[in-house]
Amino acid sequence: MTLLSETRSTVFHRILNREYFVYYALILVIVFFAIVLADTAFLSTPNFMNIIRQTTPITVMAVGMTFALAVGHIDLSVGSVVALSALVCSLLVDVVPWPFAVFAGLCAGMLVGLINGVLTEWLKVSSLLITLGSMGVISGVARVITNLESIPVTNDTFTFVFGSGSLGPISVMFIWTLLALVLGWVFLSKTRFGSHLLAVGGNPTASRALGINVVKVKITAMVIAGGAAAMAGMLYAGRLHGARYSLGEADLLTVIAAVAIGGTSLFGGRASVAGAVVGSWLMGVINNGLILWGFSTNEQIIARGLILIVAVAIGVKEDRK
Amino acid sequence: MLGVNKFKKLTMTTAIAAGFAMAASTAQAGPLETIDLSKSPEGPNGNAAQSVDEISISSGEAAAVKGKKYKAALVWHASGDWVNAVTKGAKTKFEELGIEVVATTDAQFDSARQASDVENVMALNPDIILTLVVDPVSGGAAFKPAVDKGTELVLLSNPIAGYKPNSEYTGIVTDDMYGMGVAAAEMMSDGIGGEGNIGFIYHDASYFITNNRDNAFRTAIQEKHNDIKIVSEKGFTEEGQTFELASAMILQNPDLKGIYVAWDVAAEGVIEALRAQGRRDVKVITHDLGQNNALDMIKQGNMYGTVADRPFEIGQAMAMLGVYGLLDKESPAFSVVGYDKVTKENLAITWEKSLRRPIPEKLSEALK
Amino acid sequence: MTAEYHVPDTALEVREIHKSFGGVQALKGVSFSILKGEVVGLLGDNGAGKSTLVRCISGVHPQDSGEIIINGQEVDIKSPQDARDQGIETVFQDLAVIPNFDVSKNLFLNREILSSNPVLKFFGWLDHKEMNRQSEIALKRLNSRIPSFSEEIKNLSGGQRQAVSIARAVNWGADIVIMDEPTAALGVEQAAQVNNLIKLISSQGIAVLLISHNIQHVMEVCHRAVVLRHGRAAANVRIDDITPDDLVGLITGAKRAA
Repeated sequence: MTLLSETRSTVFHRILNREYFVYYALILVIVFFAIVLADTAFLSTPNFMNIIRQTTPITVMAVGMTFALAVGHIDLSVGSVVALSALVCSLLVDVVPWPFAVFAGLCAGMLVGLINGVLTEWLKVSSLLITLGSMGVISGVARVITNLESIPVTNDTFTFVFGSGSLGPISVMFIWTLLALVLGWVFLSKTRFGSHLLAVGGNPTASRALGINVVKVKITAMVIAGGAAAMAGMLYAGRLHGARYSLGEADLLTVIAAVAIGGTSLFGGRASVAGAVVGSWLMGVINNGLILWGFSTNEQIIARGLILIVAVAIGVKEDRK
Repeated sequence: MLGVNKFKKLTMTTAIAAGFAMAASTAQAGPLETIDLSKSPEGPNGNAAQSVDEISISSGEAAAVKGKKYKAALVWHASGDWVNAVTKGAKTKFEELGIEVVATTDAQFDSARQASDVENVMALNPDIILTLVVDPVSGGAAFKPAVDKGTELVLLSNPIAGYKPNSEYTGIVTDDMYGMGVAAAEMMSDGIGGEGNIGFIYHDASYFITNNRDNAFRTAIQEKHNDIKIVSEKGFTEEGQTFELASAMILQNPDLKGIYVAWDVAAEGVIEALRAQGRRDVKVITHDLGQNNALDMIKQGNMYGTVADRPFEIGQAMAMLGVYGLLDKESPAFSVVGYDKVTKENLAITWEKSLRRPIPEKLSEALK
Repeated sequence: MTAEYHVPDTALEVREIHKSFGGVQALKGVSFSILKGEVVGLLGDNGAGKSTLVRCISGVHPQDSGEIIINGQEVDIKSPQDARDQGIETVFQDLAVIPNFDVSKNLFLNREILSSNPVLKFFGWLDHKEMNRQSEIALKRLNSRIPSFSEEIKNLSGGQRQAVSIARAVNWGADIVIMDEPTAALGVEQAAQVNNLIKLISSQGIAVLLISHNIQHVMEVCHRAVVLRHGRAAANVRIDDITPDDLVGLITGAKRAA
């Protein structure tokens, strides 16, 4: 009923659409590595569970970043929020009941998001600059509160729930990934608020004229990005049984690459949570495959940069249409 | 000294928060602590240091390993000249023993990345893993997949909290950090004629190797060189900060005759600062070898001398300890390799000895 | 063309509207009214106060003094939402649509239909099916030729997009639609479609205030014209009683209202 005049050619156009690029890319990369690395355990359930386990914090951050990008913002501070919230949680988790520590860690991240959002609206400056600044401040704070030392976590319940545990062959990380995917997708695609986020990113003037509280929506998006980064921090702390100021430092580029290649516009208005999740898997599979193949980290960095360029090239081409 | 006091206070709070985890590790040192030079450095569980020369593999043992198609993975913390030399040492030894190196990773000082690296290389089923653990605290969780599978783990320098030698890992191989610090103090004394004021630029982060070397230097100056006085102490966390630190230091203390700085790349900033202020008279002492500073040394600039360790030997010893594990042979828990005091005179020889590659052409030209 | 005068009800009346920005008096007491089903052209040179007046009525900048009366009741309009609550909708010249949204999402933006399930409703769960159904009805009412409701707006023509904007206004049961240069960004054929749409909605009893620079469009679509000059209503004339040249004269000030 809704597709009144959808012809075969538009169906074809949709299949070739940028939104689907990441799915093809993932399949292609898996097939490629499966052939090249046939003599290793690349194509095995434990290895894929490894990839999920390693990638989940990135996945969670990518889902949060999708919300920031949806309204036309970007959050460069996600990496430093990871460290801050992981440290806050780790410092508290063996002192107070662990749910409180988790709550405190999440609040730290959302507070940073709130400050980022409010400053961006108040100063009318690009979120790029604001979060560049807050990235520096937060990573400095993370260093100061721990004096560059690692904070161990010994609470078994916490480490089980936040990354180290598994239910049979299924790592809890997989459950967190599914949760991030479902929550993010429902929120962005199925609810009124998600619709407003995309409207604000697509045309802020029109959204304001139609009575949407643009400022509130934009700030909320930044709070979500901060909260997701904090969640990623918990997952790192749970997986590593401790936290350290350097956590998340290297994740920013990977997160942006994952989100961009997943079909989310870097300029607002178009966002795909599922694409971001699959994009993060793509980065994880490439990382895993290159190591198993014997490539060095330097070559992996080059590969990641190239993937980002490809993603942005396809994205910009699509947005110009 | 306010900074130092503040530092101690922070250490206290984090130590309380951190609980017991590091308490077992006596070797864990922070910046600016006095150490007992009468003892040799101790391993994390109080094991006395042994010379790396005591590690050896008999021809019979080698024959037992060869042909078994054992595999090894190198899970490093970073990359660079020094890591390359360790890798080269390990690979050479593994090759002799018919063991294939199937993967080399570099965590770029990111503990989460190192945990992923461990999981990834485990898919290749290595029998031996050589590693430098980025974070001794979270390392226990990171390396658990390897320990669970019975992989022989050999550690470089850093211990892992809760792990024991000849159990979770075979042994630790490291530099003779105290020896290097003491040697640096001796070179400082030689460089400035045995007396005068000096500056001390140390690595202000909790890092096993650099903390031990810095502290050993500082303690040796205080205890063994009574006519030399450290009048200024400044810490850095990033190599790029040393230019500003050294500039301020010589402005505040124009009578400085020498400056110690934690390692070679960090020393580049110090030398730059001295050049900028025209202070050719201030001697610089550091650790490790690097081309730029070596050239300065040859040209009789500020760089007086450096203490070079032997990464190639570390790699070889680690490879052998891996094989100890395969053979169920009791490993020395804590082995140290030697070092060389490097000045212009012995630069060419020590360069090859340390890094196991010929001295770069630029340097050999300059030496002529 | 005279049917509208048989409808006595006044849809919107403004009385003595004043508005200043700093020391500049943009509006110096403007008064006029629009009947139900009437299309009134609001004309004037740049800076005459058209946009300011529209912003007062649509709640973007509340007036300093004066009254806005809707269906005989004085109302207090302080925000765009207040205006909307009073049945005033605004259609902007710059095609105020969300480019990546489909037709139905654009029609229902900020007025989404939520799921009837109370739990889902609490979380703001959208009822896309119902919105699509109602979009179809709304666009049929305007005889619009929209290819597909699931098509993203950016793939539609300018005229189709403006049709969606107008449908959005009408769909919300607006009694009064303010159109700020709705055809300025459009080609000839597209503009003609929009003009037909304006006639259509006025025939359905909706009062339209049309801001336009295009005298030809005003002559074709409007029943009456209000001309602003220097913040005052310089003329309020029936289109049937005036020639295009006279209208231009009123705008430029070359001619004074009788």
